[in-house]
Formats: sequence, structure tokens, C-alpha cells
Amino acid sequence: MAGYISCLLLTSLLTLQYIGAISATQMCTEVTVNLTYNCESLGLEEIPESLPATTKFLEFSFNFLPDLQNSTFGRLRDLVYLDLTRCEINWVHEDAFENNEDLSTIILTGNPLIFVADTAFEGPRALKHLTLTQTGMTSVTFIPMQNLGNLETLHLGSNHLSSIQLPSTFPAHNLKVLDFEWNAIHHITKKDIISLSQASNLSLNLKGNNILDIENGAFHSTAFQNLNFGGIFDISIVLKGLQNSTTQTLWLGSFQDIKNLQISSDMLEGLCNMSVEALNLQSHHFLMSNTIFQCFTRLQELDLTQTHWNSLPSGIEGMNQLKKLVLNQNLFDNLCQISAASFPSLTHLYVKGNIHKLDFGTGCLEKLKNLLHLDLSNSKVASDICCNVQLRNLSHLQHLNLSYNEPQTLQSEAFRECPQLELLDFASTHLHTHASPSPFQNLHVLQVLNLSNCLVDTRNPQLLEGLQSLRHLDLGGNLFHSGILTKDNLLHPVDNLQVLILSSCGLTALEHQAFGNLGKLRYLDLQHNNLTGSGLDAFSDLKETYLNLAANNIRIIPSSLLPVFSQQRIIILSHNPLDCSCSNIHFLNWYKENLHKISDPEETTCGDPPALNGVKLTNVTLSCAFSTVGIFFLVLFFLMGIIFLILLIRRYIIRKYENI
Amino acid sequence: MKIFMTPFVALVLLCPSCSSKWTTHTACKDDKLELLYQSCDPLQDFGFSVDHCNNPLSENINIRFGIILRYDINELFLDINLFSMQKSILSFSYPVCEVDFPKFSFCGRRKGEKIYYAGKIDNPSFPIGKGEYHILLRLHNENNFTITCANITVISY
Repeated sequence: MAGYISCLLLTSLLTLQYIGAISATQMCTEVTVNLTYNCESLGLEEIPESLPATTKFLEFSFNFLPDLQNSTFGRLRDLVYLDLTRCEINWVHEDAFENNEDLSTIILTGNPLIFVADTAFEGPRALKHLTLTQTGMTSVTFIPMQNLGNLETLHLGSNHLSSIQLPSTFPAHNLKVLDFEWNAIHHITKKDIISLSQASNLSLNLKGNNILDIENGAFHSTAFQNLNFGGIFDISIVLKGLQNSTTQTLWLGSFQDIKNLQISSDMLEGLCNMSVEALNLQSHHFLMSNTIFQCFTRLQELDLTQTHWNSLPSGIEGMNQLKKLVLNQNLFDNLCQISAASFPSLTHLYVKGNIHKLDFGTGCLEKLKNLLHLDLSNSKVASDICCNVQLRNLSHLQHLNLSYNEPQTLQSEAFRECPQLELLDFASTHLHTHASPSPFQNLHVLQVLNLSNCLVDTRNPQLLEGLQSLRHLDLGGNLFHSGILTKDNLLHPVDNLQVLILSSCGLTALEHQAFGNLGKLRYLDLQHNNLTGSGLDAFSDLKETYLNLAANNIRIIPSSLLPVFSQQRIIILSHNPLDCSCSNIHFLNWYKENLHKISDPEETTCGDPPALNGVKLTNVTLSCAFSTVGIFFLVLFFLMGIIFLILLIRRYIIRKYENI
Repeated sequence: MKIFMTPFVALVLLCPSCSSKWTTHTACKDDKLELLYQSCDPLQDFGFSVDHCNNPLSENINIRFGIILRYDINELFLDINLFSMQKSILSFSYPVCEVDFPKFSFCGRRKGEKIYYAGKIDNPSFPIGKGEYHILLRLHNENNFTITCANITVISY
């Protein structure tokens, strides 16, 4: 008997799953009602009837549409964006998009196209973006030229193209991005470049093509926005080929998995006869020499990420124009080894992810009087006592990032040398403040301070003194030892705060008036603490706040707190063990009436009683009939019943004796 | 009744993991070392092989890897969890592609592209003690969408 029932149950479960699978194939996800739909990976062989005719954005990748015909998208007349990535499309027939006048983007990546008809792209009034990446193309003539006059981006990467020449019939006057990455282009001729001359401010991507030669003068008096020759074996071929050209950004970097010729100073000579604003040479090896940068004098931005330097040559001259220098992922031992004096006009300097332990040094950057941004994150930066000798003379500095470094000991007025600081990031760098209780004093214009996971002493009430302009403070991951945010906490001096992050701080309770002085607070993040419903007294000081209480220990929310919740803008209560019994009925009622204030309702579930564990709060309907009023009426009802019974018995007895 | 129900309920509940669609492949095999993998991405399988299955594992080993991208990989991160006897002994995360530092040539490839990578990975040389190890490996992009997920079993004899 039991076995029989089990089999029945299993069969019914499996059947249910099967039905579920069938309906799922018809189910696209509605991202925006009547506008945006996602039908990815559903194995569809046609556009589902269920999609409304008003659909504008359709994500239809990884389905099965071997041929595109006039009727395929005929019903969806409002389409603007159509992604047909990997739909096994072989044929795009005549007038396939005839009815889609507003279509501006067609993505056909990864389709084994056999033929695209001449009038395939006719219909859209302004087709702007066309992607034909990895479609097996061997010649640009494969693309029908009719109605491409509005095209702004054309992606032709990962095909078998051997020339960048566009047919003379190609209307390229609006083209801004032309992408030929990972093709088989080995030669570039004058004719090729002339075919692109209709376009102005073009970004041309030739990454991953093994260019062997460029015809002399091919780029003569041309101007490009962006030229990418990433991964080329010998960069001198490009630099010779680009004589007398103008380019905003030239990307000549390489990659870990690609072998290149080591760069010597004569290979860079071509740079002297061209105009480039920003140059990237990541992952190359350089032949050390004092003349290596002799043709870099007109550069404004230089990116030397992972170029294996352990010191830059000290005698570099003429690099007065350089504004931005990126030296990430190199091998410096001391910050002075970057020879900062060679780049007196720098406004932005990045030394992120240094591989060796980096000594902060003494006054290594003092010649950089115009420096605005300095990023030394993740570089194992170490110093004795920070930061006045290290940052000497950087009086204009606005952004300083020292996150993810070795522990730092901050001295008193640690940033006296850079009083203009607006953003200071120390995330995950252990800070010692025993030398001075208020190291941030005199940072009067500081607006953003990130002290997350810095292990700062949260008992020090003077820590944030002097930060009167501070608007954004992250103290996440710093422990409050008693677990209580008291009335007299370290937030007192920063009364202009708008954003405060106190996630993972081990908080169990927030005392009344703990946020009393933060009248401008608009965002408060208290995720991942141990707060309970009774420890939320401090919220009565808040108004119109975005309040994140996710992943705490809140079970019952006292009804006195509900008016306080009502005056906030958004509340997140997900991942709390919320009580869904009658003891929490006031909150549960409030929740349903205030759903517009609740963010992440999908993850806001009951923790108690066990029967409702994991059920979304929106789906819980409780009837707690025996309220006080209910009990009053019930008692009244009983009393009336008893009186009625007594009357009845009295009447019966009277009648009985009447007969006697 | 209860005794009969338990395995059925367990079967139904565990079905997604117990009947993973993808077969277990051999990445490399030698007398001393064997490397098996299975895709844990419900959408697709992938191909992976290691050139030499030496123990100790040599420095900068050559691998071959083939997959179809379900998402763009302007940014790509690798999460590795190593287990021995069901206990986690090592876990780390490593950036493969970042916007300001595309380390490998395949960085920046788009959704729908087929990727084939044959080349070195920068690993240190290390010996593998006798026993069976499990590695949970996941590649994801900046939006935390899974690019590949793999359950790897390493058997050292």
C-alpha cells in the first residue's frame, strides 16, 4: 500500500515537473512591462505569441532561428534593440526587418551566417549599431550596404577578414566605432585607410591582428579618436606606419599569454613624428636606457601597467606635458624610484598593485605640485609614521587612496600637507591612532572617508574631530566592543553626514539619541549586525532615510516603532528571522500597507513559527481574531446566552407549576 | 510509509545536483596523478585539458580551454575553493580581467563568442600529497554572472 502511494506521489511530482518545463519554454522574463523582455536560452523556434506588440527591447540570444524572414519579427513593430546572439541563424532573407522602423541595434554574434540578402537591413529608419562578431565572414562585401548610412558602430571581430578596406559603396560618414579585433589582417595599405576617410573621429580596433606591415604614409594626416593594436609583436611597425597622424588614444599594450619583442628606445622613435595624447604600453618588457622616453614629450597620459620596472630612469627630460601616469603592477621597492621629478605637471598618479613591498619614502612626490589624485592601493605600502613627510608639498591633492596596504600609524594632523583633500580611502588598511586621538583634524573640506575594516578604535570619541564637511563615512567592519552605539559616540563631530555605513560592526543595540545630531542623514546601512527589534530606539531621530537593516536578528518589531518606520523613505529587512505569529501582527499589517517603502521583498521572509519558515512576508495572511474587542464581545455574548437560558428555565418552571 | 517516502523526497529534492547534465571528463591522466572535471553550470559544458599531469605540478603549466561565453567578460574573476576530506583548506579569488588591466588576450570578448585558450597560467610549482582533493572553481564577471563553474577532482596516487 505504502509503496503504491509513493509511486503515485513520485509520478505526480515528475508529471508536475514536466508540465513546468513545457510552460517554461513559453515564458520570457518581463524586465519592464510591455517594453523589455528576456527570452534567453529557452530553445524557442519563433517569437512567442505572448510577447506584446509594444516590445522595444528584446533579448533573444541562445534560441533556434535558422532563417530570418519578413514575418519573423513582423508583429513587433516597435522594436528598438534586438539581440540574436547564437541563434544558429544561417540565412537573413530579403526585408527581414522591413516592419521594424525604429530598430537601432541588431546583434548577430556567433551565428553561422551563410548569406545575408541585399535588402536584409532595409526597413529601420536609423540603424545605428550592427554586430556581426564571429559569424564566419571572410570578406566585408558579405555585409549588404543598403540602408547602413546611419551606422555608428560596426563590430566585425573574430572573423576571417584579411583587409580593413570598406567597399566604396559603404556609407561610413556616421561611423564612430569600427571593430576588427581577432581577424587575419596582416597588411594595411594607403587604400585601406582612404576607404575610412568619410568617417571622422573614428575608433578603430585592430587588437589581436598580427600586423606585419603598414604602407609608408598610410596614416598621413589622418585623425583617429582611438587606435588599438593590442598584442602586436613589434610595436615599431605601428609607430612607423602612423607617421604624421593624430590620435587621441593609442593602445599598444600586450598580454600575459602573448610574446612580444622587447621595447628599445629606437623602436619608439616613430612616436616623435606623430601626435598622440594617451599611450598604453601594458605588459611589455623594456630595454632599460636613459633615452627610452625621449619621444614621449608630447604625451598627456601614459599607462605602463605591468611593464616590469623596478625604477624609472632618473634623467628623463622634457616630459612636461604629462598629466596622468599609470605605474600599476610594477616592482618598485621605494616610491622615490618612480623619479617623480621628471613629471612636474602630473595631476593623476596611480601606483596600484605593486608586486614588492613599497616603502612610502620621504618627500618622494614633493615636486608634484599640481597632483590632484594619488592611488597607492593594494601596493603593500609601508611607512614608519604617516603621512606628513610622505605627502610633503602635495597641497592641491584632492583624492588619496591608501586602501589594502600594510598597517599605518597616523600622527596628529596626519594630513596637514594636503588640506584640500576631498576623498580619503583607507579601506582594509589597519590604522593605529595611538600617536594622536584625532589624526584627521584640519581636513576641513573632506567629503568622503572610507575607514571600512581599518580596525580603528571606535571608543575614541575624538577620532573624527575636525571633519565638519564630511558627507559620506564608511565604518563597516570596525567592531563596537560593547555592541551598543551609545548616545556619546564618535559620530558627534560629523553632523553634516548624509551617508553612514555601519555594517558588520557587531552592533546589538542603538541607544536613544545615538543619531541625534545627524539631521542630514539620508542613507544608513546597518547590514550584518546583531540588532534586535528592541534595540532600535535611535531611529526616532531619523527622517526620510534609506534604512538598510538586512541580515540582523530582528524578530518582533514593537508597534511603537511603526510610526518611526513610516517616516523613512526605504527600509530593507531581508534576511532577518521575522516573527509571523500574532505577536507581531501590528508590524505584519504595517508591512502590507507600506510595501512601497520596502526594498528586496523577495528575500524578506518569516523565521518563525516553523511552519511559515521561509515564506515571504507578502504572502502571509494572519487572522488574529481574539483581539481585546473580540474578547469583549465574546464575553458579552456568553453573558447574554446565560441570561437567556435562565429566563427560559424560569418560564418552564413557572408553566410546570401553573399546571399544578 | 515514512521509510518509503524518505528516499523519494530526497531524490526529488536533490535531483538538480544528482543528475547534473554534464558528464565527467578527464583533464589529464598519468600513473601518479589524475584530474577529472565536471561542469556545474546548468546551461553548458566546457572543454579543459592540462598538458602534463606531473606530480609535483610544474610551474606555469600549459592548459587548453574552450567555451562559449554567456556574458561579456570586460571583467573576469576566478574563485577557487579547495577541499580535502570535505573540509575547506584553501579559498581565494583572483582577478583575470579588469577594465584598467586586461591581463589576458581574451579579456573583453563578448557574449556569444567561442573562446579557445591554449597557453600558460601563472601557477607556482607544488607537490600534491597522496589522496583525493576536490576543487570548486568558478569564473564570474563584474555582475557576478557565472561564466564557468567546475567541480574538479584531483586524485594523487
